[in-house]
Amino acid sequence: MGAYAKNVRDTAKSFWEGMSITLSYMFRKPITTQYPDRVGVPVRDTIPARYRGFLEVDMDICTACLACERACPIAVINIDVVKGDGKTRPKLNMERFDIDIGKCMYCGLCVEPCPTGAIQHTREFEGAVMHFDNLTLRFVPDPTNPIPAYKVPKGSDAFPRRPLGEITRKLIKAWDAPPPPFPSMEEAAKAKEHGAPKEGGLDPSAMGRQLAAKALSVKEDKPKLQKVLEEAMAGTDCGDCGYPDCFGYSNAIAQGKDTATDKCAPGGADSKAMLETILVTLKTGAVPAPATPAAGAVPAPATPAAAASPAPPAEAKPEAPAAPEAPASPPPAQDEIPLGTKPPPK
Amino acid sequence: MQDFIDNLIRSWGHDPAAWPWTQFLYLAFMGAAAFIVVNFAAISAGIFSWAERRVAARMQSRVGPNRVGPFGFLQWVADAVKLLLKEDLVPAEADAVLFRAAPYFMMVGFACVFVCLPFSHKLIVADLNIGIFYILAVTALIVVGIIMSGWSSNSKWSLFGAIRSAAQIISYEIPAGMALMIPVLLAGTLSTQGIIRAQGGWPWQWFIFDNPAAFAAFFIYFISALAEGNRTPFDLPEAESELVSGYNTEYSGMRFSYFFLVEWGNMWVMSAIATTMFLGGWQLPGLSPARFDALTGGVAVIAEIASLALFAFKTLFFVFVVMWLRWTLPRIRVDQMMNMCWKYLVPASFAGALFVAAWMLLVHEAPWLGQAMRFALTAIAAVTVAAFALRTLKNLRDTGDKFDFTSNW
Repeated sequence: MGAYAKNVRDTAKSFWEGMSITLSYMFRKPITTQYPDRVGVPVRDTIPARYRGFLEVDMDICTACLACERACPIAVINIDVVKGDGKTRPKLNMERFDIDIGKCMYCGLCVEPCPTGAIQHTREFEGAVMHFDNLTLRFVPDPTNPIPAYKVPKGSDAFPRRPLGEITRKLIKAWDAPPPPFPSMEEAAKAKEHGAPKEGGLDPSAMGRQLAAKALSVKEDKPKLQKVLEEAMAGTDCGDCGYPDCFGYSNAIAQGKDTATDKCAPGGADSKAMLETILVTLKTGAVPAPATPAAGAVPAPATPAAAASPAPPAEAKPEAPAAPEAPASPPPAQDEIPLGTKPPPK
Repeated sequence: MQDFIDNLIRSWGHDPAAWPWTQFLYLAFMGAAAFIVVNFAAISAGIFSWAERRVAARMQSRVGPNRVGPFGFLQWVADAVKLLLKEDLVPAEADAVLFRAAPYFMMVGFACVFVCLPFSHKLIVADLNIGIFYILAVTALIVVGIIMSGWSSNSKWSLFGAIRSAAQIISYEIPAGMALMIPVLLAGTLSTQGIIRAQGGWPWQWFIFDNPAAFAAFFIYFISALAEGNRTPFDLPEAESELVSGYNTEYSGMRFSYFFLVEWGNMWVMSAIATTMFLGGWQLPGLSPARFDALTGGVAVIAEIASLALFAFKTLFFVFVVMWLRWTLPRIRVDQMMNMCWKYLVPASFAGALFVAAWMLLVHEAPWLGQAMRFALTAIAAVTVAAFALRTLKNLRDTGDKFDFTSNW
């Protein structure tokens, strides 16, 4: 009987408590966030600071080291670099810096190697668009007007970055924006040449011989030799070579501690070829002859400036006619590796 | 309503008995009343569907439908339009005629109840002298519709749901009917208006506080009404975890919406009956029915509107309680449901009827006892409500929240 009475009491009590609890919730503020239109502050400002949203690149402090492009496991980032001679035009120019947000898996691997913190995850996440192509963020708005790479001041470890999210926010298209125009025949043909050296670009073999001549003249002066060697590198201080900066790597080569020429990833095949030319020159004591017969007319060691300039037509386009015509001898063949090719594994 | 029409005819200078158009006028008014009542039932059911979702949402710290119209109030219109436009599907193996007919049986059984439901002092379609008996009788028609839909669907889930529902409704008719007999005993009439008139405007004049048996009868009726309306915690016929959706599993579109119209409309019906039988109906405090009848002109109109508002308020409060219970209590088992009905509610309601009969004799001898009991029960109820409100407020404060009913709608 006691148990029976207890059951009755428990029933009454649980009704009493349960009903008062549900009623009390009736008079509380619902916790629902009425995304997207009835929120007090934008939702992106309420999510944690380390949220991995859309990527953003501040082109003002991008060193064009390509570390992010290499780090990306699914080729979301596409950067086209045009090289200049460092005098009439900057040494490194970016014609294209695309990030395909539609493909990005937000792993953050591109953010890790960036030497200046130019590429970062923002807290932007609203990417609803009518057309998939609108998800490609173009950080170089106009390919005909390339953006020069940022040269890191020696010893600096803080970089003037624009407020995070500002740039990407501007690039995000409205959800119903029209798609980018379908490429015309000419544009499609041009796109096929992607990765080929650009007209007016640097001729790595000529520059390599020029640097080799310089290096030969300062063979015994290690600090000066290091400077020459550093010139053959991309100069982004990306640290991809395993040394803290370009100075470290070039100094190691100058001191003879390092003989690998393929460590400069941003410089790619060009840097490798130039470094090899220099090292071969130092070893043999003579600058190697130019590769193509046409270029042979130009006395390379005597007039390096002329060889370096983009003027000679045969020099300017070593790529296109090379395959059928050139009687490729081993060292010049190095010169002909296209810019877009991946550097050999270390 | 007949008196009203007769008076109208007399005011035009005819004798209702001799005038040839009297019967046509009766017919026209019947049609108009039926139209108004059916639409009231349908629209109130629609509004309850929205209200229930908002109440449910707030009790679960959510917002609920709030985009269509102000506070999402027009959501039920949008849902109704959607349901009307959907395909009217009849399963291949179903008994097509019965399948199509079943929702109308439900609708008829539901709409007929409104004939005897009072709304205010004068507002009632027909004040039958067997009012509450009629209501209990036509409600049983819903069972026919449920069995018909379950059987004709030719689906085991539908049939299980229908059988459960039929068993439940027929079982709970008994305690519900016996509990409603107690106000009938106290009032000495079956007419719904007569029962309201036998009560008074003040709470201690209501039948619920007349004696302990009437107090218990109110709860017996309310529990039974929940079960008859297939409301949680007695929603076994549509137990979605076991039976998909019960007897309406195979239905779609408009016919499906009829079942839900009946379910939500039943909330008004059960609450209105509870208000009528136990809570003084439309009675205004301090205005006896005799004086109410004697009112004329603008005062009569104001009093009429006030009585309508009071009746609606009491009814809507119980509609809210029904929703509130749904979002508090879990579903009970079939055996528990049957136990509760046959082992507790049925004996209790019969005992209550006997007690009331004896109590009426006693009060007849000692009227002061009746008065004392009325005031005592009213005081107990008031204290209970106050304690409950404090407990609710404590629950609210204990979690560090504050009373906030207005934000985030």
